[in-house]
This record gives sequence, structure tokens and C-alpha cells, in this order.
Amino acid sequence: MNGKKLQALVSYVMCLFMSGCAAVAPAPSKHPPRTVSDAKIEKKELREGKPRPREVASLHLTEQGQMLLESGKVDEAIGVLERAVNIYPANGKNYYYLAEAWLRKGNVTQAREWNRLAGMYLAGDGEWSPRVYEQRGRINVHSR
Amino acid sequence: MIFRKSTKKRIFLSLWILSFIIVLGVLLYCLYLSILIDTRFSGRRWSIPSKVYSDSTLLFPGQPVNRALLINKLRRLEYRNVSHAPESSGEMQILGSSMEVFLRDVEMLAKKQKGYHAQIAFRNQEIESIIRKDNGEKLPLLELEPEKIMLFFGPERQQRQLVSIDRAPKYLIHAVLAAEDNRFFEHHGFDFRSILRAIYINIRHGMIRQGGSTLTQQLAKSYFLTPERTFARKIKELLMALTMELKYRKQEIFEIYLNEIYLGQKGSVSINGVGEAAFFYFGKPVENLSLAEAATIAGLVKSPGLYSPYVSEAKSREQRNKVLHDMEKLGYITKKQMDGAAAEPVKTVGFMAYGKKAPYFVDYVSKQLPTLYSPNVLSSQGLSIYTTVDTQVQEAAENALERGLARLENAYPALRRSHPERKLQGAIIVMQPKTGYILAMVGGRDYSTTQFNRATQARRQPGSAIKPFVYLTGLDQFTPATVLSNEQRTYEVNGKSWKPHGKSSDSGKGIRMRDALARSDNLATVDLAMKVGLDRLVDTVKAFQFSTPVKPQPSLALGAYEVIPLELARAYCTFASDGLEPYPLSLKTLVDENGNILEQRHMTIQNVISPAKAYVISDMLRSVVTEGTAKSVKNMGITFPVAGKTGTTNDYRDAWFVGYTPDLLILVWVGFDNGESVSAEGAVAALPIWADLVRAIPQYISGEWFKVPPGVVMVKICSQSGQLATESKCPEPIEEVFLEGNVPIEYCQIPEHKAYSGEVLKTWWKKLWKR
Repeated sequence: MNGKKLQALVSYVMCLFMSGCAAVAPAPSKHPPRTVSDAKIEKKELREGKPRPREVASLHLTEQGQMLLESGKVDEAIGVLERAVNIYPANGKNYYYLAEAWLRKGNVTQAREWNRLAGMYLAGDGEWSPRVYEQRGRINVHSR
Repeated sequence: MIFRKSTKKRIFLSLWILSFIIVLGVLLYCLYLSILIDTRFSGRRWSIPSKVYSDSTLLFPGQPVNRALLINKLRRLEYRNVSHAPESSGEMQILGSSMEVFLRDVEMLAKKQKGYHAQIAFRNQEIESIIRKDNGEKLPLLELEPEKIMLFFGPERQQRQLVSIDRAPKYLIHAVLAAEDNRFFEHHGFDFRSILRAIYINIRHGMIRQGGSTLTQQLAKSYFLTPERTFARKIKELLMALTMELKYRKQEIFEIYLNEIYLGQKGSVSINGVGEAAFFYFGKPVENLSLAEAATIAGLVKSPGLYSPYVSEAKSREQRNKVLHDMEKLGYITKKQMDGAAAEPVKTVGFMAYGKKAPYFVDYVSKQLPTLYSPNVLSSQGLSIYTTVDTQVQEAAENALERGLARLENAYPALRRSHPERKLQGAIIVMQPKTGYILAMVGGRDYSTTQFNRATQARRQPGSAIKPFVYLTGLDQFTPATVLSNEQRTYEVNGKSWKPHGKSSDSGKGIRMRDALARSDNLATVDLAMKVGLDRLVDTVKAFQFSTPVKPQPSLALGAYEVIPLELARAYCTFASDGLEPYPLSLKTLVDENGNILEQRHMTIQNVISPAKAYVISDMLRSVVTEGTAKSVKNMGITFPVAGKTGTTNDYRDAWFVGYTPDLLILVWVGFDNGESVSAEGAVAALPIWADLVRAIPQYISGEWFKVPPGVVMVKICSQSGQLATESKCPEPIEEVFLEGNVPIEYCQIPEHKAYSGEVLKTWWKKLWKR
């Protein structure tokens, strides 16, 4: 079993363990949503690696959506993230934040679908995969 | 004497009583008018039409762009093309390899954006950079404001932008006073001196040159009364003016007047109030009007039809200068100011008459508005309806359909019809598959001829365009490499025999599933449908939420049942969005006139199939375009990866093409409303329209293909047997996609391709070490 598989298994077991608790409110996130400064660094990295123009534009909107989400403007955040998806559908971070937004709106079904997509598009991303798993755990807690 | 005295007394008493009754009557009538005025003023003063907006437009560096469509877009947004660098908001300058735009302030929902001067540089039909001119900052994204695509007018068809008196420049107030009623702030609604002066001037000139009505009387006339000229109406107007003056402050009356006056005509819509007039004539908010412009607007009050600069610049200028002269005479401006303003030309911005843009789309959106918003509410309450439509895509779609149908009629003269309602028709739907955003919708050739929306209301047979759903149903048991029977045969279904129509190339030899779908092979498709079972096929179709009834009959596999084009487009979106079916989204937000959100809709998705299955179907549909029925698209300038499917029904009644990329899905349908034959297949009738449209909207094409999801593997197979290829033996080995767990395990069984067991072992050993 390689490192990634082991990591995934451990995360999954942790999620199962956490979801087994009787808590009603979601457990505090081990991986709090990334800050805007993190996203800025990421965009800078992208620029250095000559990313696709669509990716840069999409990430710019992801950042806006994240800020709106952090300030509690969930509906506005969803609107911006939808545009980000339309510009660059392969930007998995949009799906992560969409799942987050729908979770905040209490729509577990939609949150689960977006989280699934986030998992698919961010698979292999050492930093984001654990966040996606952790989010899945919170969605599961909510769905009980 | 006694008699005379008593008679006099009686007459006096009668007169007194009569006067008392008249005064009482007038007072009671004034009380009634007061209630009437109160009701009107305390409620809504004006009907403001609700507006339907497109989505905002995003521009970013590296984005391919159709410059002609972009410039049209800016023009529709009423950006004025100027010959110098833009200096104020709403101006643009189009240069060879760049354009400069001074964006307007945007206040939309939670978003507030101050306008700024931006330079957009182009290189090879792409945006090279976007730079903010005031600070030199390179922008990653630029957002153009939503475009107004329709106004819900009431029967009066008035358009106005309300302004408060505090926003109106002094020049404008003085100009209106000088032109219409310079003693407004001195009289009480009725000005005897004005009437005497008007009589004197009219007698002196031997014609009606001046009216004696005060502003308050004019307001009473236009706001409450009908236009007939009778003595009774004049009295009513006078009493109403006096009542208004008693009840309201002069400032309030003046403000209502500024917003009420009729100032011109934009097509069939009347321009009311100085706020709307400032935009209509000079393209700027009222507070930015110059002295000359303010005087021009004030001069229009007398007769907009006569003095409109759009009707006669000379007459407009003459009337403006008369107002300026009166202003100078009354001491509102100096002689120097008057001379300066009088020397200026009357420069208007030009206008585009209100038309219903994207009419079928707007109808579709209107039908979704909750019943709470009746036509009466929509025409009066100034709601803003934000939608998903992109007017650049809409324009390109309308053009592509019109060109495509005309081209077909030229190629096949039998398709021409003289009666407009019987002409060849078509429909186009453009969607973003991941989110379900409807970017454009064309429901027919000419909305003015027929409002029947063929994109959302027509029920047509999809023909072969249904086949991907048959092959999807087969993916649980079979693979793209499975060889299907393409033999002509008769099937027994429910005790009845049925023989499918259609030919098959290399009939009887068998055909791999991928090729059968690519070539739209009817016999092989029916073979597959019968193998998987008709009930399972019905289940698959139902899972995609078609609203039309579907029955387990063998012809279902060939698309012999009806679908609504929008529902077919939506179902195809599932293949382009990792198996998630989106809800088609057109209405995003409904906002009241104070900016409060009344309704907000987001994309919603539903998991219908696995991402792996969606990918395999997309990959198979790519073969339709590279080597199948739609391969002619390569000669139409489409060089990026596309998945798609043609569709043709019995007797060529319907021609379809549905094509998509990860970014965009477009459905095109062509046919006659009465089911006559279009004499051409989907690849001939619908595909060229699709290609024409896609070429026109490069901003939506990334040129990328789908990311391979988990659960999909690539394996080398023999192109003849569909089994695992034996290295060096199978002459045409090809890479094929498979669902993990459904990969062929047998090596090629064609005798000439069979490998020695040693070779099989060698291959196996090599593969093991590759891992």
C-alpha cells in the first residue's frame, strides 16, 4: 500500500469515527477553509507555472466566492462560484466551496454532489484531498 | 315699497343661498380632489416597467474573442464610440489592436463597482491584456454590466428614470422655469398675469404662441386628466391645481413635474421625465447635463415632436436658444454664459429603439415567474429580472439559424414555402453543461411570425439522437469494444414481429459498439437494445427526467418517441458533466426597485450516472465527430475535440445535431412544424448550423477534453475482434476506454491473430514490470 492510499484510508477511518459520534452540529474542521491570502499565493504559483488563462480567471472568481462565503453571503458566493465553474470546469476548488456553501444552506444532497466532484478533481492534490475528505465527514454528520 | 323691499331681500337671500351652495359644492369637490390627489401621491406615483437583464459578461486575458460580437455588445450597452481616449463613463474608443472603455458604475445585488477606464489589448483574436488606465494595474478579469434585454411595459408604454430635485442641476431647473412658468415659486397654482400676458402675445401675433397654464396646471392636466379641451375640464384643472398647491410644497410639485413631463418618443415608447430624457438625448445622468443640454430638454416641453433633436436639429437649436435667451432675461445666467451655450451644436448620442431581444428566451423566463408577479405588477413595479442569457451567444445563435435555414432552402428549393407560417423552422439551445446555464435559446425562425417556442414547447422524435442512451444502458454488460450484430433480422416483441429499418455498412459482419454509435447503425443499435432489454432502456430514459411518456417498444431504440428539445439538451449535459444532470437555469435573481432580492435561483444537479460512464459515452461520441456521421465537421473549421450525435427521423422529418465540449453544449433542430420532410439528414441540415455557431463564439471554447475520472481504464484491443490485442499479431490494435471491472479478459480469438502462448506470457510479463 503506497503513502497516498494509506493517507486516504486513515482519513476515511477518521471520518467514519467522527461520523459515528452523536453530535448534531458539525465537528470543528481540522482543515479550516483556506484564507484569501492562501488563495493569492496559489494564484501567484499558477502564474509562475504558466497556467491556462481560464484557470487564472476561474481562480480569481473562486477567491471572490470564498470571500463572500467567509462574510456569510452564501447566495452571492454560490452565484460567483457558478460563474467560476462555467469558465473552467476542471477547477476542483470551486466544487469544494460550492459544497461548503450548500452545506451552510443546509442542503446536504447538493453539498454531497459537489463534494464528490471536488474529490474527483482534486484527487492527488496532497493539500486539498484531506480537506475534501474532512468536508465529506461534515456532510455525513449533517445528513444524520 | 314693502313688496319691492321684500322682493329685493328675497333675491338677495336666494343669491346668497345659491352662492353658499356653489361654494360648498366647490369645497366638497376640492375635498374629493384632495383625496384623489392624496391617493395617487401617497401610493405609487408612476408605473415603472420591470426590466429583464442578461448575465454580466466576463473578459479575461488569454480569452479568445469575437471582436465584432464584443463591439456589438458594447453598443447595445450604449457605450458611445468616441474619437479620443474615453474621458467619462459610457465612452469607448475602438483602435486597431485594442479598445479603451470607460466602464460605468455598477450597482447590482450585493455588488458595487465603481466605473473605471480600462484598456483591452488584442492579439491573434485573443485578449492579450486588460489594464486599468488610472493606476496601470493588470486585471485578471473584467466584468461588463448586464444588458437590458426587455422591458415589461404597461399599456401606456412609458419609460422614465426618477430623479430627485436635489440631483437636478440648477441650470435645468432655471431652464424649465424660464421656458414654462417663471413665476412658479410666486403664484398659487393659477397665474392671472401669465394668462393676460399669453392673451396679449397671442392677439399680437394673431396665433396661439403662448399658453397661460402654470406648471401646476400642466401637471394636473397630464397626471390626472384626459386630453380633451372643454370648459368643464379647464375648471377641473384649475381646481385641481389650487388643491395641489394647498396640499403640497412647491419643491414637491416641481419634482413631480420634472419626472412626469413627456419629452419624446423612442419607437413606440414614450420618454417621460428629465432623468430618462437626459439618457435618451445625451447619454448621461441628469446631474451631468451642461447648460446647453439642459436648455434643450427644457425647450422640448412645448412640443417634443417638433423640437426633438432627433427630428430636427435646427428647430431644436432654435428652441434651445430661445430658452437660453429667456434665462438670461430673467437673470438666471449671464450674457456670456448664454452666448457660449447658444454657440454649441446640439450633440445627441443616438438611440436603439426598444426591441425584444432573445424573445423566445424572455417568454421562457416570464413563464417561470411566480404567479404572484402578474403582468400588471411587472409593468408597474420596476422589478429587475437577472437571467443567464449571453447576448453575444444569442446574437450568434440567431444569425447561425437564419443563415443555415436560408442555405438549406437554397440547396433544396423544394424546402421553400411562400407562407411565412409554413416556412422551414429550427431551434437552438446553448447551455453550459456543468451548471445548466442557458446561454441562448432560439425557438424559431421569426418571433414576429410565430411565438411557438420550438426549443421548449415542441415535441419531436429524436431519431438517432436517442442512441447514446441505448449505448449507455448497454455499458453495464458490454463495452465499446463489444461486437454487435448488424444483421437484418426480424424480432418478436410481445407476440408481434418487428423488423427495424435501416442499412448497415458491412451488414452481417458485426460491428464494434463504438463504431455502431459513430456510424449510427440502426441494426446494431436494435441488437443492443434487445440484448439489454427494453424495460431497462425505458428505465434509463426515465432516469434522465424526460417529461414525455416513454413505452418499452423496440422502435424506442431508434428514437421513435417524442422529446422536448430542451429536455434532450439537458439529458446530454449529463454526459458532459461527470454524470450529473443539471436543471436548466435561466432566471437567476428577481430584485425589487429598492434592491431587495425577491427570488434567487441557483444551479441544482442530480446524479444520474457515474462519472466513468459519462466519460465512456463522451469518448464514444467523440468518434461520431472524428470518423462517424458528423465527420464533415472537420471541414467546417472545428479543430478542437468535440463529442456529438446526429439525429434523423423517418422520412427526414427532423434533423438534429447535439454537440458538446466540457465547456459548452449546443443542440440544433431543423424541421417543419407540420412534419413535412426536410430532405436532409442531421449531418447536412443541423450540423453546419452548429459549426457556424461554435465558430462565432470562441470565448466559450477552451479546446480541452474531459479529465479521465476514476473507474476508467485504457486498454489496447484488436480492432476486428474487440478482444485484447495480441502484440505483433493483431494488425490494427487500438486503444479503447473501458469501465474498470468490465475490461475484456480474452486475447484476440481470430485464428490469424492468435499468439503463441509464449508470446502471451511475454506480454503479461512485460505488463507486470511496467506496473
